[in-house]
Amino acid sequence: MRRTAAVLVALLACGLAGAAWAQEAVPAAPDAVQRELQAIEDLLVRAIAEFDGAQQSRSIVILDEIITRLESLRRDRTLPPRGREVLAQAYELRGRAYYNIGLQEKAADSFRSLIQLQPQYALSKDKVSPKIVDYFNSVKTALVGYLAVSSQPAGAKVTLNGEFLSLTDFFPLEILAGDYTVEIAREGYRTESRPVSIAPKATETLEVTLTRTSASAFLVTEPPGVEIWMDGALAVTTAGTLAPDFAAAVREKGLDPARASARTEIGGLSLGSHAIELRKKCHELVRKTVDFSEARDYDLEPVKMEESLASLSLRSEPPGAKIYLDGEAAGVTPKDLEGVCSGKHRVEVKHASGKFLQDVVLERNESLTLDCPIRPSLAFLGVVAESAGGERVAAEVQETLVRNLAKITSLNFVPAPRETVDRILEADRLARKGLLPGSGTDPDLIRKLTEKMAAALEVQGFLLAVLPEERLQRTAALHLLAAGNTVTDRFDVAFNEAASYLRFLSVVDQRAALYHPWTGIITVDTLLHEGVPVLRVAAASPGAEAGLQPGEVIDAADGHPIKQTAELLALVEAKKPKDKIALHVKGAGAARAVEVVLGQTPQEIPLNDPALLYNKVMMDLRQQVEGYPGTEAAAFARLNLAVCAMHFGDFAAAHEHLLKARTELPQRPGISQGTALYYLGLALERLGYKKEAGEAYRAAAAAKDATLFDNDGPAVAPLAARRAGS
Amino acid sequence: MLLAAGLLRAQSTSPEEQARGLLEDGRTYRREGKLKQALDNFNTIVTGFANTDSVDDALLEIGRYQMEVEGNADKAREAFEVVTKRYPQSDGAPGAYYYLGLLTLDRAHSAADLDDALAQFTRVQRLYPRSEWVSRALYGTALAHRKAGRLPETVEAARRVALEYPSSEIAPAAQFQIGHALALMGEPRPAMEEFQRIRNRFPTSEWAPRALDRITALYRLYGGAKPVFALDPAFTAASGDVLKDVRAILMTPARVLWIASDKVKGVVPVGADGKVGAILNGADLQGLSLGPAGELVVAARMAVRVGPRDIRSFSVPTDKPGLTEPLAKIEAAVVTAGGLTLIADEKRRRVCRFDAKGQFQGPFPDAKERQIVRMAVDGEGGIAVLDRDQKTVQVYDEAGQLLRSVAARGAGWELKRPTDVAVDPFRNTYVADEEGFVYVFSPSGQLLASISGEVRKPRALTIDPAGAILVYDEKLERILRYR
Repeated sequence: MRRTAAVLVALLACGLAGAAWAQEAVPAAPDAVQRELQAIEDLLVRAIAEFDGAQQSRSIVILDEIITRLESLRRDRTLPPRGREVLAQAYELRGRAYYNIGLQEKAADSFRSLIQLQPQYALSKDKVSPKIVDYFNSVKTALVGYLAVSSQPAGAKVTLNGEFLSLTDFFPLEILAGDYTVEIAREGYRTESRPVSIAPKATETLEVTLTRTSASAFLVTEPPGVEIWMDGALAVTTAGTLAPDFAAAVREKGLDPARASARTEIGGLSLGSHAIELRKKCHELVRKTVDFSEARDYDLEPVKMEESLASLSLRSEPPGAKIYLDGEAAGVTPKDLEGVCSGKHRVEVKHASGKFLQDVVLERNESLTLDCPIRPSLAFLGVVAESAGGERVAAEVQETLVRNLAKITSLNFVPAPRETVDRILEADRLARKGLLPGSGTDPDLIRKLTEKMAAALEVQGFLLAVLPEERLQRTAALHLLAAGNTVTDRFDVAFNEAASYLRFLSVVDQRAALYHPWTGIITVDTLLHEGVPVLRVAAASPGAEAGLQPGEVIDAADGHPIKQTAELLALVEAKKPKDKIALHVKGAGAARAVEVVLGQTPQEIPLNDPALLYNKVMMDLRQQVEGYPGTEAAAFARLNLAVCAMHFGDFAAAHEHLLKARTELPQRPGISQGTALYYLGLALERLGYKKEAGEAYRAAAAAKDATLFDNDGPAVAPLAARRAGS
Repeated sequence: MLLAAGLLRAQSTSPEEQARGLLEDGRTYRREGKLKQALDNFNTIVTGFANTDSVDDALLEIGRYQMEVEGNADKAREAFEVVTKRYPQSDGAPGAYYYLGLLTLDRAHSAADLDDALAQFTRVQRLYPRSEWVSRALYGTALAHRKAGRLPETVEAARRVALEYPSSEIAPAAQFQIGHALALMGEPRPAMEEFQRIRNRFPTSEWAPRALDRITALYRLYGGAKPVFALDPAFTAASGDVLKDVRAILMTPARVLWIASDKVKGVVPVGADGKVGAILNGADLQGLSLGPAGELVVAARMAVRVGPRDIRSFSVPTDKPGLTEPLAKIEAAVVTAGGLTLIADEKRRRVCRFDAKGQFQGPFPDAKERQIVRMAVDGEGGIAVLDRDQKTVQVYDEAGQLLRSVAARGAGWELKRPTDVAVDPFRNTYVADEEGFVYVFSPSGQLLASISGEVRKPRALTIDPAGAILVYDEKLERILRYR
């Protein structure tokens, strides 16, 4: 048993070696042949078991079947190298089995077949009975002669009747006796062909001088690793180090021999003119034209490659994003990258809140500054059809959708790899439709899965298209879902109408305004005044700092007459924080000019606005929260995230956001901690925590100057006090 | 050929699609004012496409038609109830509950009725929290609370609409309710801010000009250290005999000034543009007021005219069982929000109360004799009565409960010969006194402002939508405007 196994291992090793030997000629076996070979190998295992068993002769029947099936493949010329090894092994085992039961003639037949298959096959006395080895060798001697081939130059490929044998020069190899045509071929030389007759036990020797038909060029570059492209095709890459013999010549040409490559051959060059390009990353391209008029070796002028570098400055909003240059990590923003190779690069700037992606081409010595606005990424999960009709057009619709939705500018729109999405969803036995409203899927599961997919795909939201059951399939319901949220926003598009996409794009690319320029001056319209009287000036507001007083009447701003509050607000809205607005004010005394330096007021997202895609808003808000942690902007964004969660009835998520917003928001007049406390009360109330809700309301009621909606909005205190008491 | 093509088209659409088409066309007709055509479409859906998804919407539209066009509350209720009972899961169901709430609210005269209305609105919020009707239901809740006099609850419910559904159609109306309720709660400055929000956020809404009026009225009273009423020298209204022997004047919300002149034996409308309209004839005119639907109520000596055509006479029982006697010395008349007609009778020195069918219901507020010469209703269910003998103004609710009053005298005023009374939307009371004064009193009866000087002998007064006071001066035979 052990002995046969050892033989098998040896044969397998031999087979592998054989495969390597003839690797150029190994086509991939078709599936049917592979299956047949696998079945035969299974038979071989059984045959070996019988061979090693008490009645070795029982293996012969199995080995016969193996041989018959493999010879059939061999006749069809579909026998792979591994099959040849198995066949050889089967012949060997059958020969030995016959020998062991005294049927020497039959054993000789098997060994003959074996030798005809593999003339170099040998049995070792260490592993097989010496008597059998001797018998095998006696059969082999009668069948095999020897062939040795050498060529000038060496390294030529030798084939025997078209089958590859070896590279020159080689010592005598065992060859089945017979007549052959030997071909000796080498690139750049004419192929030589010789007839040869091999007699048993005799040795034939061929010595061939090859005639050159093409030129070779030799080149040294500094540094090594330069790709040499001949006539548009990569010929070779310089490598190694320069041999001392050539150092002087190379130094003379201005190269540093210590940094130069070995003398690298470009062989097989046809005679005539050739265009050569020398390419190396981060180096200037070198172009040459050379003429080879004779089939001989040429030494080309050594080439010193000039470095070609540029610099790249990357800034991002938010900062602190990871930079990847051609997939390689290159620090975090803001960052100045010096010594960047010129040429084309893919710049990726990744942040938890989104990413920036752009291909750039850098010229030598160029300094490029790239502002990298981080945008959330939206993964397209594909099209789901609700009817057979829909399924028929789904692929076509998907293509149309991808083409049109790629025009989204506020998000990176990326088709999601199907297998990644399937793997994540299938792990929880969920189909894509399970993410949609009305599917009955546990919201917590949707939350978990979207977060998982978001991490895997490096995105912040998802888009799934549904083709509803329609007589004429023309509508696609686009479902937008922010990672971590549980309810989609739906937007229907007529998938063949360009205008329909434009409507969607205008909504999805809309950015919710979170801040507005602000004066803190509350004026009213009356029929009593030429202008707008100041009703109230918010504490610590720009208006208060400018000294505006209730009762004064603003009748002009920036030179424009003001007849109603909307006109004043429009002028303010058109400005930016820190801009100034010049007011003309009439009061009890003389008219006066007042300059107000504008501040800004945060603004809440409306709880229910049909014009908003709340999931998109949530993606934008998360970007603020994750992009600018610890800032007031992040705190306001978190408050708005809570409002969005409440929009979807997700009071648990709102509660989580509000707990953080409560501590992160400033304590001051306007949108502030009191605002968060009021909403916290609402969320707790909806979650059924009456006592805790009451506490939150009471705390909100104590925040006297806190407001809702914006800094000029309704006061929180009375609303909270009322709810605290109810 | 065309017919064949039409048939082919018809056959190629499903009943669902046909019903949907009828519904959309019907709604278009409604928007264009082709109400009968719209109703035909909706009825066709109910009868011909009863199993389609559009039937609940069609029933809702039919109910709206009955409620808003025909004024047939019963038929409207019937249609809405079909939706709530047969199609409770449909998207029309919350709408039906909302309209049922409105119908109930409209007829609510008791706390139980108001609770019923509230229950319908609450049902929408509870059962259909993501429905488009929630904003309207919240607004309905605010209205129900206001009708019940629960002003903080009104603010809370309306505030939810303004904050949670700022883009809804109902948001400006809700914002208006916030301002109004705050003003009634005695918080005029926050009220002005809330009214101004309508102008800032919904400048094209029908509520924006109304908000401007309210802000103006509030600012005049509360914007400065003290109220300021200044004579508008440029103001003129009507001329000639119309301004002779004027018994009453009344400004409507549409800014039409009605002048009841005994000289011309009729009531003359003067538009905002100064143009005089068609006269409503009538002799022995006594007073003018506005009914709950905005209709003009003209009190004459022997009859009351409600709206353009409805002329009613009233009788009260005599001491002899079964015998009645017509009222022939009417001094004033008002129609309340609950549909009661109150008539001040000079002969009996009482205010008589009649139901919507004209049946005598008893004295108002009680059997005590009073010489009531003028009455006015406020927007909150209060009825102000001017007692000439006692020289007081008292405000009662419809049930006769005293709500507030203006005393005959106090710090800075004395009513000597009061002739007319008016009430503004904020429940401030305005009294004209023949001795040459017009007084403005807060709801608590405190004097806010008094006007004298140019006005010589005030006989009648009214308040315009922006809170300006219009006074008819009998001596000058002209109407003065204090803005």
